[in-house]
Amino acid sequence: MVTASVTEATKAKPRWRAVALVVLWAGVGVGALLLLAKSVQNSGEFSRLQPWILLLNLVGVIALLALLARKITQLVRDYRAHVPGSRLTARTVAIFGALVVAPLLIVYLFSLQFLNRGIDSWFHLEVKQGLNDALVLSRSALDLRVREYSRHTENLAHSLLDASAEDVAHRVYEERRATGALEMAVFGSHERIIAASLENPLESLPSRPPADLLRQVGERRAYVSLEPQAGGEYLIRTAAPFTEATGRRDDRYLIAIYEVPTQLAALSEAVQHAYSQYGELAALREPLKSSFRLTLTLVLLLAMLAAIYGAIFSAQRLVRPVQDLIEGTRAVGKGDFGTRLPLPSRDEMGFLVHSFNDMTKRLRRAREEATRSQHVVERERERLAIILARLTTGVVVVDRELTVSIANQAAGAILGTDLSAATGRGLPELTAGNERLGQFVAALGVRFAAGREEWREQLDLDSATGGRILMCACTPQAGADGKVGYVIVFDDITTLLQAQRDAAWGEVARRLAHEIKNPLTPIQLSAELMRRRFLTSMSPPDAEVLERATRTIVQQVQTMQQMVNAFSEYARAPEMRITHFSLNQLAGEVADLYRPHDARVDIRLELDERIDGIEADRGRVRQILNNLVINALEALDGVATPRLEIATRFEQGGDAKYATITVCDNGPGFQRELLGRVFDPYVTSKPKGTGLGLAIVKKIVEEHGGRIDADNRPEGGARIRVVLPMTDSTRSAPGARDRRGELRREIV
Amino acid sequence: MRSAQSSVASMLRVGQFSPRWVLMSLILTACVPPAHADALDGVLQVRSAYVSVEGGVFLLHARIDYPVNPVIRDALHDGVTLTVDLDVRIERERRFWLNADIVDLTLRRELDYHAVSDRYLVRDVRSGNQKSFATLEEALSDLGTVEGWPVLVEPQLAQGSYRISVRAGVRRGRLPASLRALMFWTDDWHRVSEWYTWLLPV
Repeated sequence: MVTASVTEATKAKPRWRAVALVVLWAGVGVGALLLLAKSVQNSGEFSRLQPWILLLNLVGVIALLALLARKITQLVRDYRAHVPGSRLTARTVAIFGALVVAPLLIVYLFSLQFLNRGIDSWFHLEVKQGLNDALVLSRSALDLRVREYSRHTENLAHSLLDASAEDVAHRVYEERRATGALEMAVFGSHERIIAASLENPLESLPSRPPADLLRQVGERRAYVSLEPQAGGEYLIRTAAPFTEATGRRDDRYLIAIYEVPTQLAALSEAVQHAYSQYGELAALREPLKSSFRLTLTLVLLLAMLAAIYGAIFSAQRLVRPVQDLIEGTRAVGKGDFGTRLPLPSRDEMGFLVHSFNDMTKRLRRAREEATRSQHVVERERERLAIILARLTTGVVVVDRELTVSIANQAAGAILGTDLSAATGRGLPELTAGNERLGQFVAALGVRFAAGREEWREQLDLDSATGGRILMCACTPQAGADGKVGYVIVFDDITTLLQAQRDAAWGEVARRLAHEIKNPLTPIQLSAELMRRRFLTSMSPPDAEVLERATRTIVQQVQTMQQMVNAFSEYARAPEMRITHFSLNQLAGEVADLYRPHDARVDIRLELDERIDGIEADRGRVRQILNNLVINALEALDGVATPRLEIATRFEQGGDAKYATITVCDNGPGFQRELLGRVFDPYVTSKPKGTGLGLAIVKKIVEEHGGRIDADNRPEGGARIRVVLPMTDSTRSAPGARDRRGELRREIV
Repeated sequence: MRSAQSSVASMLRVGQFSPRWVLMSLILTACVPPAHADALDGVLQVRSAYVSVEGGVFLLHARIDYPVNPVIRDALHDGVTLTVDLDVRIERERRFWLNADIVDLTLRRELDYHAVSDRYLVRDVRSGNQKSFATLEEALSDLGTVEGWPVLVEPQLAQGSYRISVRAGVRRGRLPASLRALMFWTDDWHRVSEWYTWLLPV
């Protein structure tokens, strides 16, 4: 609804402007016509309105020129800037312009030619000559009358020279009637009327003589003039002084006014009118042609300017929806689907624009839907990433070239490397310096090379820092780009297997203790009884044999009892007696205990002063130290400069405090193949021993909630490290297990 | 070009600077080939003017100099009619506003040459009265003498100061109306004098 109103608003503005322009132009046009009509009817009005008419025209022309210049400038600028639609506009304007200008020019040239020839045709030489001849003829005809009346007036004046006043009046009256004159009068000096006779009875006085007549008569010369009148009549005014041939002076003079016969006057007047009209037109010939030329040129210019402006206006109006469409398409191309184009009209272009708007609306909806889906997918990915990060199972997704696309934190921890930055890199690139990862990659490579894509197997990974047993499953997965990926899920089951082995060994030890220990006492007692009964009664050689045999039996039974006791100890359920004691002091005591035992061995202590006390079973911790020292001393047999180091170190993880006991020697170290199983019962590389020492140590450590690890030092020799919680609360705290997990990783 | 220059020169001489002349000069300069010299070259001025009151009627008396030259004479002999106008404008002065028009009259007369009788005719256009003269000078002298032309009656006046302006004009007259609308482009037979103005306190 909002969009529709916006569209209506944008549409209403140009329409309002167009209506206003049309009304303005119509008003100006009607005004100009009214002014023209008014000025044509009244020349006075014309003179007054003329500047305004011109000003109006000038304003119109300037406005048109300004509009046109603006349009053309804009068109040229758009054309050069390759604005969409400008070429179409220019082409349309050129076509419209050519269509309009060419006929206009033809009409203009034709009109000019027609006007020139038309106006020239008014002025034929024959017409001019004819008019001149008619004029001469008229003058001749009138001259005859003029001369006749003039002579008659002169004769009359001469005949009246000696007449009395009464006679003069009588003669004037008679002569006027005889000749048909309009007026006849005799004047004396100072224009004194002596006698007068007028045809018009309503007039009593003769008309006043004109100045030139008086002047001429004053010079004693006859006067005659042909005077045209307003109604087309002609009057012949004659005057003659009373002058005798002898030269006698008389101030009187006679004035007679005659009327030219009507027919002659009418003919003469017609000739005069034609002559005057022709002369006026002839004088106007060139100015008229110039005026026509100028007017035509101005009209042509105005028409051409208006036509070109109209062409540009129409072309732009026609092209504007196309431009809008192009702009809209570009905007859509750039991802702006909110573009709404104004509807130009209800024609095909309007339908196209409507379709475009409909398309953008659908696209916008589709994009919003896609964005929503993308957000859902991203949320799922984030959730999956969180799950993967929290998983203790390692998950790695690789392609056939072992390029990593996903690897969680647990995978890195299990494989002993940091895989957080491994995305996009090949697993083989990361194997440098990491033997365990190298073996893992090799195992994968072997299976992929064999064409196996889906499998589930146990992988045994050996390394100098300890072996790992992984339960690994591989599943092929089609990637988004069509390439096949492999989801490899693996879990470190070393601890699990170890626990299973420990449990099995515990059961074996319990059974051995139970099944073997019971017959041993009767065997020993029986052997001793045999010895006591038969030793004294037997001959010395037999007695010696018996003695040796029973002693051997008893010794072996004791040995077996020791072994059974050890097994019993191993399988025994923990009975912890937790006390607070000094670990450093205990370590010192153990070291002191063994120093005299083998003075050759250099036993060194490196004790952390921060460990002031530890809550643990003191006897069992002493057993740990004893077993570790004995194990080390046994390993140092045959070493040139044997050296044993016992170190304690304080560690803190959060609120939990730990004491680390490290026992190192410079002996041959653990055999590589045994490194992962050194804490298993009966695993030993030494000729003597039960193979339970380290197994018991491990059991005690685990009973205390600690961890134990064994490896070989880079410089040679074995190293066993025991981590014990320093307080009983830490041992039983929920975080203790996690902390142990972290420590395990550090050790790894 | 010569025509345009002369028209501008004449315009400056009589102190006219109307839009019409500006536009005409521009267009002539641009478009019109030289056609003819200024036919109305010469002095055109209102030499004196005054009003007298007789019986409550204000009568205008004026003396006007009209240009006389061979071009005019020849044109008249060719049949051209000259229209001679005398414009009178009476305004009441107002202190804080434009002056009020009281009277705006034109005394229009025509001068032409009557070829058949070889005389110059002076015709009052409104009344139709006609006088003929043997010479052009006499005719122009008659045209240049206005005696007792009633222009105002007393009831039209109120207390105040009145400005009376008189101006003479000459142009080629008696053109057909359709042609007259066209001829203003190139008609240089059109001149008006400066206003002759005086104050009439009432």
